[in-house]
Amino acid sequence: MGLLCSKNRHYTEADAEENSQAAEIERRIEQETKAEKHIQKLLVLGAGESGKSTIFKQIKLLFQTGFDDAELRSYISVIHANIYQTIKILYDGSKEFAQNDADSSKYVLSSENKVIGEKLSEIGSQLDYPCLNRELAHEIETLWKDSAIQETYVRGNELQVPDCAHYFMENLQRLSDANYIPTKEDVLYARVRTTGVVEIQFSPVGKNKKSGEVYRLFDVGGQRNERRKWIHLFEGVTAVIFCAAISDYDQIEDEQKNRMMESKELFDWVLKQPCFEKTSFMLFLNKFDIFETKVLKVPLNVCEWFKDYQPVSTGKQEIEHAYEFVKKKFEELYFQSTAPDRVDRVFKIYRTTALDQKLVKKTFKLVDETLRRRNLFEAGLL
Amino acid sequence: MPMFQPSKRDGFVVAGFDGSGDGQVLDLDTAVKDGVLGGVVGGEVIAAAVGEKLDLKKMIEELDIPEIPSVFICPISLEPMQDPVTLCTGQTYERSNILKWFNLGHYTCPTTMQELWDDSITPNRTLYHLIYTWFSQKYSLMKKRSEDVQGRVSEHLEALKKVKGQARIQALKELKQVVAAHAAARKTVVDEGGVSVISSLLGPFTSHAVGSEAIGILVNLELDSESKTNLMQPTTISLMVDMLNEGSVETRINCTRLMEKLMEEKEFRSESISSHRLLVGLMRLLKDKRHSNGILPGLSFLRSICLHKQVRSLIVSIGAVSQLVELLPALEPDCLELALFILDTLSALPEGKVALKDCANTIPNMVRLLMRVSESCTQYALSILWSVCKLAPEECSSVALEAGLAAKLLLVIQSGCNPVLKQRSAELLKLCSLNYTDTIFISKCKLTRTIQ
Repeated sequence: MGLLCSKNRHYTEADAEENSQAAEIERRIEQETKAEKHIQKLLVLGAGESGKSTIFKQIKLLFQTGFDDAELRSYISVIHANIYQTIKILYDGSKEFAQNDADSSKYVLSSENKVIGEKLSEIGSQLDYPCLNRELAHEIETLWKDSAIQETYVRGNELQVPDCAHYFMENLQRLSDANYIPTKEDVLYARVRTTGVVEIQFSPVGKNKKSGEVYRLFDVGGQRNERRKWIHLFEGVTAVIFCAAISDYDQIEDEQKNRMMESKELFDWVLKQPCFEKTSFMLFLNKFDIFETKVLKVPLNVCEWFKDYQPVSTGKQEIEHAYEFVKKKFEELYFQSTAPDRVDRVFKIYRTTALDQKLVKKTFKLVDETLRRRNLFEAGLL
Repeated sequence: MPMFQPSKRDGFVVAGFDGSGDGQVLDLDTAVKDGVLGGVVGGEVIAAAVGEKLDLKKMIEELDIPEIPSVFICPISLEPMQDPVTLCTGQTYERSNILKWFNLGHYTCPTTMQELWDDSITPNRTLYHLIYTWFSQKYSLMKKRSEDVQGRVSEHLEALKKVKGQARIQALKELKQVVAAHAAARKTVVDEGGVSVISSLLGPFTSHAVGSEAIGILVNLELDSESKTNLMQPTTISLMVDMLNEGSVETRINCTRLMEKLMEEKEFRSESISSHRLLVGLMRLLKDKRHSNGILPGLSFLRSICLHKQVRSLIVSIGAVSQLVELLPALEPDCLELALFILDTLSALPEGKVALKDCANTIPNMVRLLMRVSESCTQYALSILWSVCKLAPEECSSVALEAGLAAKLLLVIQSGCNPVLKQRSAELLKLCSLNYTDTIFISKCKLTRTIQ
């Protein structure tokens, strides 16, 4: 009997050890799964350059610790790159217009500036950009101020001049300083194509510091390839924040495609995905600040989707009217793309200017309220 | 044994009770007013009306104040005492509570834990008077305050101009209560420019909490033309549409009623209501099985919307037709008339006719409603049947006749309805009979259970 006992004991000891470890792991998994359930997941989607990453940065600035020195510095090369890219696009564009446009004379630069232009264009086409020093900055500024370049800039929508162009060009002195450290605003304007998936976790803690909801925000960036294959991984997200840059109505993409139409198609596609059957949709009609100024100069009906637009007045009233028109178009699209059984999912439209921190904060407060009410509703408490 | 001497000076308090002996004699009212016992806020005294015998129990219940002076509280129940009695130890309790204590077999004083050497319980008349007077004064104050509706309204409106966040929501809630309870309050709000104060709170970043309270107030007020125009701005309408989609049933009904009021303005542009979200939200209100009180205001609003031609097509496109048809059997007569009017209006559109025809229950429901509720209902139902049958005579006639249409039409023709209706019925009867031989048709005209 003793032998039997000891044999059993030996067996059970090792086993017990394993069992307790396994139990510990099980317990931890259960704990984390529980915790995960309370984290609301938000997916940011949208066409390229619609402002997704800017929203991302804003959330980071608002609800996390913002950017530390090292992170700020990491943006210096990005900002310099943006500047070189921009001036190159403008210079090359001016040459193209000078050749092809009927009114070519206004796109012709002065001979000194042509030299600068060639040089900068050459730099811009390299893989590595030189650091932006005083000298280069001065040359860029000179070129920027040339009337031909300014004329070209007016037609920026045909060349895909990035939105940060004006801001960076106006701040060249500061940006080229030897001890330059980017400000928060500079970082928000900086443009870099997002690759892969970026995520941050945050909690919008209110004034009374009560423990609020925990959100995890995902940005999948400009990934277009095989979108249909990975989108279903986001099934079960609480909400999709879809960014659409409404100022893009006159922007023409590479293959002569209008950016607004691309946005429209993408929105349509996302709405129809089975994985988002019960997901709330928050539509951010972004870049309102650019839209405001543009809509008074460039009529909305240059965009195919808005071709039935009729202006009614001028100034602020007209801006509001135009905005309402665009908003209605998106609403219409939403209901056309939404099957009857999905009509009950939350759908709200927000007017945003992603670069304005205060506005983003206010907007997000509303989004938070809506999602919380939705939770209460689904729990049967409302 | 020390005897408790009943106070000879009933209703009077000797200041300096604890032995410091000031010797000043105050009457009860003054004592309470001056805050000898504490708890009197603001020091306002309204002498209890002479002859008014307020019931202490009732007052305690109605007042529900948290800060009652501790000497008024029974140590056993922690409630204010209505019949205070004192034991030989000098401790005072509520009579019923201490008696219960004794009945359980205890002969000790609950707070001092001393064994009682005397089982007598003496009514503490002094304390009773104090309690009574204190509560009476509080009660009169409360009553006066609640009658001072104007004052409260002004107070809340002033608050709204300054505060934010939770305080703002609280002020709105209280104002809403006052406005709901007193007609005078409504007038005061309007007179003191409250409408623009509240309207200014409604903007693109208004939270649901604030918006729902604000709308709850505005909907009960008389709004002048300027205020209504102000509320018709796209952002405000958009906010109301949001709340129509997400709010509680009360909020949704308020939004519905308010938007309908705004539509009465001649400046109203139909573009504002020509919104998918608005119509979908409205239909959801109508279909809400848990809350049937939304149906009447919802239908009323939808009817007003229908009067605008441009929006009719949109209403049909969101599938409202079949949804309304499905609702019909459960509706009350006043709602039925509205619903039928809407469907009749929509039947004028080609897409409306198609939608009506495609809905399987249109014809049976319409047939059932003929001569059932009122002449207007019969008129609308008839008109709808006419539209549908004209669109697809063969298909619809057979369905209609199976549902007992013929007999109903005969009823109309033989009734005291107006001649136009009778004429219509005759025409419809003829239309339906075209595909049948006489004998078969006559058999279909027989009164069936459908009618009874």
